[in-house]
Amino acid sequence: MGQEKGYLALVLHAHLPFIKHPEYPDFLEEDWFYEAMVETYIPLLNVFENLTEEGTDFRLTMTLTPPLCNMMEDPLLIERFRQYLNRRVELSQKELNRTQGTEFEGVARMYFNKFRRYQDLFESRYHGHVLEGFKKFQDMGKLEIITCCATHGYLPLMVHKESVNAQIKIAAHDYRSRFGKSPRGIWLAECAYNPGDDKFLRAEGIRFFFTEAHGILHGTPRPKYGIYAPVYCPQTGVAAFARDMESAQQVWSAETGYPGDPRYREFYRDLGYDLDYDYIKPYLHSDGVRRNIGMKYHKITGKVALNQKQAYDPYAAREVAAQHAGNFMFNRQKQIEYLSTIIDRKPLVVSMYDAELYGHWWYEGIDFLEYLFKKIYYDQDEIKLITPSEYLEMYPQNQVVQPSMSSWGDKGYHDVWLNSGNDWIYRHLIKASERMMELANKFPNAEGLLRRALNQLARELVLMQSSDWAFLMTTGTAKEYSTKRTKDHIKRFNELYEQVQGNRIQEGYVYELEQKDSIFQQIDYNVYASGAKEAVLQKYQ
Amino acid sequence: MDTNLSSGALVTPLRKDDQAEMDIPAGYGKTESFLLPKDPAWLFLFWEITVETFDCIRSQYGEDTLRSARTVIRLHDVTDLPLFDGTNDVCHYDLPVIFEARSWYINAPQSGRSYIADLGYITADGRFILVSRSNMTALPPGRISDVIDDKWMIVEGDFQKLLRLSGADYIGMGASERMQVLGQRWKLTELTSSGAPSSWSSFALHLDKVEEEEDIWLKADCEIIIYGSASKNAIVSINGKDIELKEGKFSIRQHLPAGSVVDLPIHARNAKGDKTRHINIKALREQGK
Repeated sequence: MGQEKGYLALVLHAHLPFIKHPEYPDFLEEDWFYEAMVETYIPLLNVFENLTEEGTDFRLTMTLTPPLCNMMEDPLLIERFRQYLNRRVELSQKELNRTQGTEFEGVARMYFNKFRRYQDLFESRYHGHVLEGFKKFQDMGKLEIITCCATHGYLPLMVHKESVNAQIKIAAHDYRSRFGKSPRGIWLAECAYNPGDDKFLRAEGIRFFFTEAHGILHGTPRPKYGIYAPVYCPQTGVAAFARDMESAQQVWSAETGYPGDPRYREFYRDLGYDLDYDYIKPYLHSDGVRRNIGMKYHKITGKVALNQKQAYDPYAAREVAAQHAGNFMFNRQKQIEYLSTIIDRKPLVVSMYDAELYGHWWYEGIDFLEYLFKKIYYDQDEIKLITPSEYLEMYPQNQVVQPSMSSWGDKGYHDVWLNSGNDWIYRHLIKASERMMELANKFPNAEGLLRRALNQLARELVLMQSSDWAFLMTTGTAKEYSTKRTKDHIKRFNELYEQVQGNRIQEGYVYELEQKDSIFQQIDYNVYASGAKEAVLQKYQ
Repeated sequence: MDTNLSSGALVTPLRKDDQAEMDIPAGYGKTESFLLPKDPAWLFLFWEITVETFDCIRSQYGEDTLRSARTVIRLHDVTDLPLFDGTNDVCHYDLPVIFEARSWYINAPQSGRSYIADLGYITADGRFILVSRSNMTALPPGRISDVIDDKWMIVEGDFQKLLRLSGADYIGMGASERMQVLGQRWKLTELTSSGAPSSWSSFALHLDKVEEEEDIWLKADCEIIIYGSASKNAIVSINGKDIELKEGKFSIRQHLPAGSVVDLPIHARNAKGDKTRHINIKALREQGK
């Protein structure tokens, strides 16, 4: 332990639901992935590369959820992303000429430089496989990559523990195949924790997870350090780290959060709408409808109409990001200094965010992180960045507290994923889970086509369990797509179940689903056998 | 435009989806019920009861017995029970329910407890006829624990400071902002999507299809929930009966039968009884027609 008074653990949760539509040549919702790649994931890798090159040490914890990893390694999506990125480079190059001598010259140059750099990283350094990049920084000890429930399944609403077990096992298996070791930590989807689920984590060697603040504050017995130290779950000893609300608010608050600064980039004013139709058409989707293309030339400016927004100045915006990083660090220093007068060990502040906030939503959030890493490393020695694993090595003794059921959703529990707008799904999710167990118990040693069918059933089940669908139904955005996805997986599951039960499996149908819902190539349906769950529960009685 | 298109499809698919026109089933032909936790105060119960189950109960108990019986959810508090046998609960609560509803949100009497819900009939002579028993669900406590760990003691004043710093006062708040931001992000795609065929949009509306030739029917029941808060030193009564405040909050639930008027005067007084506050709530439910 050094001179520092306490620690900051920055945690970014990177996740997208598995969206891949090989049955269409061009599909709108696939853009979520391409946008996040070019605005968040590759820019983050770029920051890691820069910091490492200049010798700045840093620590960051990141979830790369299994669906996201599967998409990052999917040949079709990689190829489609390559085309997406190429088109951005091409357009931004054209824009250099068009904007020459105008107030937009600087921002046009920024896009061109960035896209070229990202293309270079993607193609030359990572050879189309960005996971290579993330793995590299994990192996260097700067980045701790954690896993998540297999498809971001919402565990507290799963009645059958076999499904909970499968969500964890499939995720851990996927992680091992990609990163060459077992995951030390997990981000439970939506930070939704149900007492006892830690047994399934422990069985996979997972040593820590995260909860919302009240997951620990409402734990039993009272947590001595509040949320400023992890606690161990009884029986399993899996550590729970809780989210710090103060640092969360500084970034998220609509009123006072950093992303609202008038000098930052305006999200809603986009070239897809601004430029001449014939000029922009080649960069729109195949239906030719004007949509956002991710290039924006204006700043927030203030509370003015979209057509009153002023030109964006990349240099000024970067300056603001640096100021905000300084302010964030200053607040953590004060927070940790004060906390260390109350508690008898070095306090730990855990700041958790959706990764896509940085870059995709808050465009300068990437710069903010880069400055924050630098300032913490060079400008002070009161606080130090740390990963949960490093903290647990330093403080192996922690209080045993049973965390409370909780989530980081609105109102702190399950309302977002269980309300009158989406509660109909659970009848089907739970039935499919029951049927999957039934088949796994009935056919313990399936081979050939039967085995393929059973594995595909497991894929359909985990895909319908993605919490994203229920979330989107509640927010009312992309409601049609999320409803359709849920129903599609239910229908595919039920159809295939009938085929298996009726001993009339159609090879063509199995093949079709294998192509469409191709997540988890290595899935083994046996994870749903009751014996697998019982073994875990008996071990941690 | 092809009717198989989803919201995000931009052009004709390369392969036809044979399942696209099928709907998902309304049920699975098995009598069963499942109980899910929603938050410290609410549970969600959903069920399916088959015709065979009804026939079986009818033949066992007789048409007349059932006609005069009430249909209820019997919510058993089974906290800390190693095994629930149907009779050894800590206590139970009966809530009127309509079986045809197929799902129900239940306001749990106490947070931090474990529950099992039975669907059944209460006959005119008070017998309970079980139709379906749910799984067990435990609710979170929703508050700071009273249990203090001897080995990890902390000065009470310091603990209160830590609680405030930890954000105990705004648990669950702020998440809506995050959700709005994330929601808006998806919205950009949706707003500008190519539009979905009408056959898809109206899909959700006819999950439970009613035969057109059938005579129409309507059933509804009503419970009212009175909730509120008062200063921590206040003694609060509803309709003359003192109620317990939990961290200054209260909530009670009452059945409102058809054709009834319910008066629920709420009074708060201090310990001396020299300061009082009143709120009067009156509810009317007309007879069905």
